[in-house]
Amino acid sequence: MAIIRDMIPAFELFQPTTVEDALALMAEHGEGGWVLAGGLDSYDWFKDRIKRPEAVIDLGGIDELKGIIDGQDGLEIGAMTTLTEIVRHERVRSEYILLADAAEHVATPQIRNQGTLGGNISQDTRCWYYRSGWACYRAGGNTCYAAAPQAMNREHAITGTSRCVAVNPSDTAPALVALDAKMTVRGRRSSNVYDAEDFFIGPATDITRMTVLEPGDLLTQIDIPSEWANAHFYYEKVRDRGSWDFQLVSVAAAFKTSGNTIDDARIAVNGVAPFPVRLDAVERLVKGAAVDEALAIEAGEIAIQGSRPLKHNEYKQPMMSNLVRRAVRSVA
Amino acid sequence: MGRWLDFESNPWGQEVLQGVSLELMYLAIGLAVLFVVGHLVWYRSRGFSEHEKTADIQGSVAGIPERIVRHTLPSRIFHWTMGASMLVLLITAFVPLLGLEFAWVTIHWIAGAVLILTIIYHVIHSILWQDFWSMMSFNVREAIGHFRHLLSSKSTEPEKPGKYPFDHRMYHQGIVVVSLAAIVTGVLMTLRIKTPFWEPNAYYPLVDQAISGLNELGEPAITVLPGEATGFVFVIHGIAGVALIVMVAAHIYFAIRPDKRYYLWGMIRGWIDRKQYLAHFDPDKWSVVDGTIQESPPGGAIADSTVSAPRVDD
Amino acid sequence: MAEKIIGTDIAPQDLVAKITGRAKYAEDFRADGMVFAKLLLSPMPHARVRGVDTTKALAMPGVIDILRADEVRQIEGRPGEASLTDEPLYEGQPILAVAAETEEQAAAAIEEIEVDFEPLPFVLDPLDSLRPNGPNAYTGGNRFGGGEFSELKWTDADFEEIEAGRMPNGEAAVEWTKGDIDTAFSESDLVLEESIVHQSLTHHPMETRSAMMYWENGKLHAFVSTQSAQRTKYAIAGTLNIDPEDVILVAEYCGGGFGSKISGNTHMEVPAVFSRKIGRPVMLRITRYEENYIGRARPGFQSWLKMGFLDDGTCNAIDLYIVQESGPFGAGDFNTAGMIADLVYTPQNMRFRGIAMYTNTPPKAAQRGPGGAQIVIMMEPILEKAARQLGLDRLEVHLKNAPDADVGFGPRNSTLTSVYAKEALEKGAEIFDWAGKQELSGRREGSKVTGIGIGLSPYTAGSRGYDGLMVIHPDGKLYVHQGLGNLGTHSIMDTARPAAEILNLNWDQVELVWGDSSRGMPRSSVQAGSQTTHAHSRANHAAGMDARAKVLEVAAQTLGGSPSNYDMDNGRVFRRGGGASMTFAQVAERAIELGGRYDGHELPDNIHATTVPAANMLAGQGLMGVARDNYGGSGGVYSWVAGFALVELDEETGVVDIKEYVAVTDCGTVLHPRSLGAQVLGGSIQGMGQAMTQRWVFDPKWGVPFANRLYTARPPGILDVPLDMKADAVGIPDPQTPVGAKGIGEPPVGAGGAAVTSAVADAMGGHCLCRTPLTPDIILAELEGLSQPFTLEQHIG
Ligand SMILES: Cc1cc2nc3c(=O)[nH]c(=O)nc-3n(C[C@H](O)[C@H](O)[C@H](O)COP(=O)(O)OP(=O)(O)OC[C@H]3O[C@@H](n4cnc5c(N)ncnc54)[C@H](O)[C@@H]3O)c2cc1C
Repeated sequence: MAIIRDMIPAFELFQPTTVEDALALMAEHGEGGWVLAGGLDSYDWFKDRIKRPEAVIDLGGIDELKGIIDGQDGLEIGAMTTLTEIVRHERVRSEYILLADAAEHVATPQIRNQGTLGGNISQDTRCWYYRSGWACYRAGGNTCYAAAPQAMNREHAITGTSRCVAVNPSDTAPALVALDAKMTVRGRRSSNVYDAEDFFIGPATDITRMTVLEPGDLLTQIDIPSEWANAHFYYEKVRDRGSWDFQLVSVAAAFKTSGNTIDDARIAVNGVAPFPVRLDAVERLVKGAAVDEALAIEAGEIAIQGSRPLKHNEYKQPMMSNLVRRAVRSVA
Repeated sequence: MGRWLDFESNPWGQEVLQGVSLELMYLAIGLAVLFVVGHLVWYRSRGFSEHEKTADIQGSVAGIPERIVRHTLPSRIFHWTMGASMLVLLITAFVPLLGLEFAWVTIHWIAGAVLILTIIYHVIHSILWQDFWSMMSFNVREAIGHFRHLLSSKSTEPEKPGKYPFDHRMYHQGIVVVSLAAIVTGVLMTLRIKTPFWEPNAYYPLVDQAISGLNELGEPAITVLPGEATGFVFVIHGIAGVALIVMVAAHIYFAIRPDKRYYLWGMIRGWIDRKQYLAHFDPDKWSVVDGTIQESPPGGAIADSTVSAPRVDD
Repeated sequence: MAEKIIGTDIAPQDLVAKITGRAKYAEDFRADGMVFAKLLLSPMPHARVRGVDTTKALAMPGVIDILRADEVRQIEGRPGEASLTDEPLYEGQPILAVAAETEEQAAAAIEEIEVDFEPLPFVLDPLDSLRPNGPNAYTGGNRFGGGEFSELKWTDADFEEIEAGRMPNGEAAVEWTKGDIDTAFSESDLVLEESIVHQSLTHHPMETRSAMMYWENGKLHAFVSTQSAQRTKYAIAGTLNIDPEDVILVAEYCGGGFGSKISGNTHMEVPAVFSRKIGRPVMLRITRYEENYIGRARPGFQSWLKMGFLDDGTCNAIDLYIVQESGPFGAGDFNTAGMIADLVYTPQNMRFRGIAMYTNTPPKAAQRGPGGAQIVIMMEPILEKAARQLGLDRLEVHLKNAPDADVGFGPRNSTLTSVYAKEALEKGAEIFDWAGKQELSGRREGSKVTGIGIGLSPYTAGSRGYDGLMVIHPDGKLYVHQGLGNLGTHSIMDTARPAAEILNLNWDQVELVWGDSSRGMPRSSVQAGSQTTHAHSRANHAAGMDARAKVLEVAAQTLGGSPSNYDMDNGRVFRRGGGASMTFAQVAERAIELGGRYDGHELPDNIHATTVPAANMLAGQGLMGVARDNYGGSGGVYSWVAGFALVELDEETGVVDIKEYVAVTDCGTVLHPRSLGAQVLGGSIQGMGQAMTQRWVFDPKWGVPFANRLYTARPPGILDVPLDMKADAVGIPDPQTPVGAKGIGEPPVGAGGAAVTSAVADAMGGHCLCRTPLTPDIILAELEGLSQPFTLEQHIG
């Protein structure tokens, strides 16, 4: 069968206006259904004719999924809230600038106007091989093409791999892990709340998915607990270009401090594993410590312990180490 | 055929073998259940007793000890480690496919490594210290007797066996073949993932070289399509895997059958008692006089190896 | 007095159409009964089609027909590209086309076609092909010459030091020398030697090469995207082997080409032949994915360079070896690169060796400054290193080595019409404050280090001998007929300015006629090699002079006296010192009455044969100015750009931030300052992308490129561009051309790229990474002392 790209095949489009209807449609179509948020990942798959859902369930008309609410304890962000709204939201900016910062690093203004927070954290990996429609593990096949000695794995993972070596591409994901966000996932008959850390899963758990979301599941809401409001935040993303590019490595960190002593910390890194990686060991190291350059350096070193590069991505070790170092250093 | 095998396009759009389909796993599970049920029905239909037979012998008989060593401690440790690793392998292989997700790959290859180590140990141990032929012998008469018994209700009980009855030996040989297939392919598959021992490689340098392995005329030097070698490995591993489901299920089923309990006890405690010995085994074929186990091999080969140190009842 | 037109900012005529979306590009055209064609691309980098099963596809709804390779022109017996092929030489090469009522039907049909491909050996990297027993791009070998394929392999000994990062230089295919390099090197006070890799990169113009065509009454109507209009009409006629006058070419706008659509492109043949076959208009819309494959790329270089310097900074010897990754059909960049190295650094003693290797990668073609951009981007960091080691200022070193107008360069000691490179360097240094910025070089703030750099980049900028064609109509306006393409550079408008100025017209009295061959196109240059401004400011100058002379003659004949008694302004011709006058409208009517040479019924005999049909078409419509550019001249025409960049390199991430950029050009007289600024800075930005981000990503095992989208190919985005950018011009007219203007399209690319590679080398303390693009991974690996994942490989991930 010859290959055609850049042309979206026909599908049936559903535009429910309530979560209930969306869930019913998703249940009805099962594996053949596709949840559409901003479409920036979705349409990419469709136009390459690699994913061919029979039914597309567009969440764009569901108002209850949009917007940011001042909750009892922090913010409640609807999954369909656009990245631009997050970037511009007053309370996000004043109390949780980490998230606004991360969202602002996504691609371009046009993409942020269209892309949603729910979509951004649910998006699929950008591994060259997988995105080219090759029958790799993640696509249900029996090979990781990126893990060959001559393979193009400059962008791939240095840790957390299991057969598949792709990385999570989301800029907001590590920020949400650092903020200890909670994701509400609704199914037809269930509703679960996951810690951000558990929402993202690695290939060891399921090689075909990046998150806990299974067909039929809807991510409805992302809560940002007030626990980390107004903490000292640090976000940095390294990419090849200044815009319109995914991260090579990014770091998101939240520190509670007194003076230059760190009382508590949550640090996550993305672009180095198939999921945003929380750096428990670094957190343990810095908790209760006064920040100086030696601590920052040690944090950077601990961060990459146990990581192992592929042929073409050894640079990710120092890059990750240095970003963690900078995050810790920023407290001083 | 196509139903049981999966094909996929390689990156050049050629259809290549990919592995066995999920349906084969369900088939194996079905077969395992069928086998157990079938055996139960057969057993009942033949009116065999649900209880273990014992011989009516009192006191000591011609130097036969009260307890007869069946499996030494090292053998038992081997068996249970191997069994455990096999179970872990099967669980980590198939449970995720049934829908319960967990990080199985690392456990799977580590269990595989354990299995390989136990097998290496077993091979050396059985060749050097055990009676190799007690397990590896094959006797046509015995086989015929066995099948007669299986098929015809009129046939007499098959002759009593030596240490390992015919079906055990056949099972052993079967599991050797299947496990070896699974192990060899498993190792090849492990080469493709990240372990502390090597860098992953998606391609088998010597096998899957059809691209650069073209001859001068541009014809493939070998007929495997690019990317297909992997498929063969997966198919063999898959078939071996599902075969193991059936075999392990059968093994466990027989192990826990009440009429065969003495085997289980033998593998747990290491010994069987004299009554069990005399009821189920032929002392000519499995001689335990003075605790020294001797067996004359059918092929006449040397068979003076000592299975265990004499352990006479005190 | 009419306004001065040359050198002023005038909004180009097509501006409103472009920004309101009224401008029609090739794929905006529709015709009655039009169908869509889609291409089936080869999935393998080299293969043979053993069989094709189209039964299922042909039975699908809406499917009309299939076009195969045997129905289009094939080039036999030598490497040459056909629009469809049964022996694809790169992944993505079109095999066949399907036409259907809708594009979706055509796409669905493609998916149902079974092609049996036999994979053949392939090679992506020229060095692999040169290795003993390495694969060849063609079944017959890796070289072509004297009518046949052959195999060229280097020896194991040649490759001995490649692992250590030393470029092998075995037997070359091209070699020239001047002076005596051995003696020169022995006299050098400093000799530097480097192995350098420059990547290949795609053109990716915004508009893909879509085309719509139909046949009407034996004539082909072709709606295409092309850099050059009149020449494309002839190219299409040539491909189809038909009378050029049977081609009606419509190409009003072109969304960029950068050298990939010089006179159209190979795949225009598909809709032409297909529509003839099925008798319906055929639209072939090329997607971004397809553009990636068939849209051309700049060839990559793997190179070895030895450069000698004297204490005072004089570059006294260059030994340069370039291996070129040429794709399946070849390219000439490497030869140009050798010439430009000689031109920029004037070593007097030089050896150039080179070899272009066929590879199974998408086809290569000229890309904005072909050869020149690569070589200055590669060499500028070496100059940085040399200046540092000699304790000299780079600007001084450049000024010492930059040529003057008397330069003779390359194997044949080519000469130039004018060179104001030093003036460009000096003016640029002043605007940039090079002297003041010296202090910033190497300055460290936290993890950030500042570097400054210079890139000096020349490129061809003109040709001669084309025709101008214009008519003053009875509405009083001057209609300038342009056979150029409209690829966004404004040259299609700006080159008409000399005529307006000669006729003393206001710009609103000038109408431009372009983009439709049925309206008359004179013989034009291809819009490539930055020729247009020079070539057509001359041609229109000549035709303008012709028109002016005729206006004066008509006035004299009508109103009495001799032509020299008359002058003209603002659309009137009048008798000097007062008296009778005529409007241009009256002049036009009078010219028609007079006929003969005045209204184009008689044409000069020196105009090109392909101008004649256009002039004939326009004869009798008014007063015709028509002439060939006979101004002559000797020597090549080159323009120069001196670029200055300030970058900040973050040593903890490897990220380079370009903070400031200044470019000053020597392109002769400035026709249109704003447009010049757009060219100079736009081209420089393209060069910065070339130096920093843009590239292919190939999987070597399967020979397949992945970065096949605009965003994955990584041209620079707006945030990669310095906020502080300035462009200026030396503004000294070229003495050999009447308007004084030279072209400017190409030289900025090398200047932008080289200023940045040089600045990065400066920030790294005089260390040349000698590989582009300078992505953060490569820089960081170097700074952290890791081994580089790539040494001399052409294609990197
Ligand atoms: C050129 C380009 C560059 C980009 N660069 C970046 C970048 O630098 N950083 C970055 O983080 N991202 C980047 N992106 C990705 C883009 O920001 C995300 O793809 C986008 O945010 C996804 O969100 P969306 O709303 O468009 O979701 P969609 O594309 O519609 O959905 C993404 C996936 O999530 C699923 N999904 C979405 N919402 C839900 C829900 N509520 N419940 C269950 N499933 C859901 C969809 O089914 C789909 O599988 C880039 C994208 C492009 C095209």
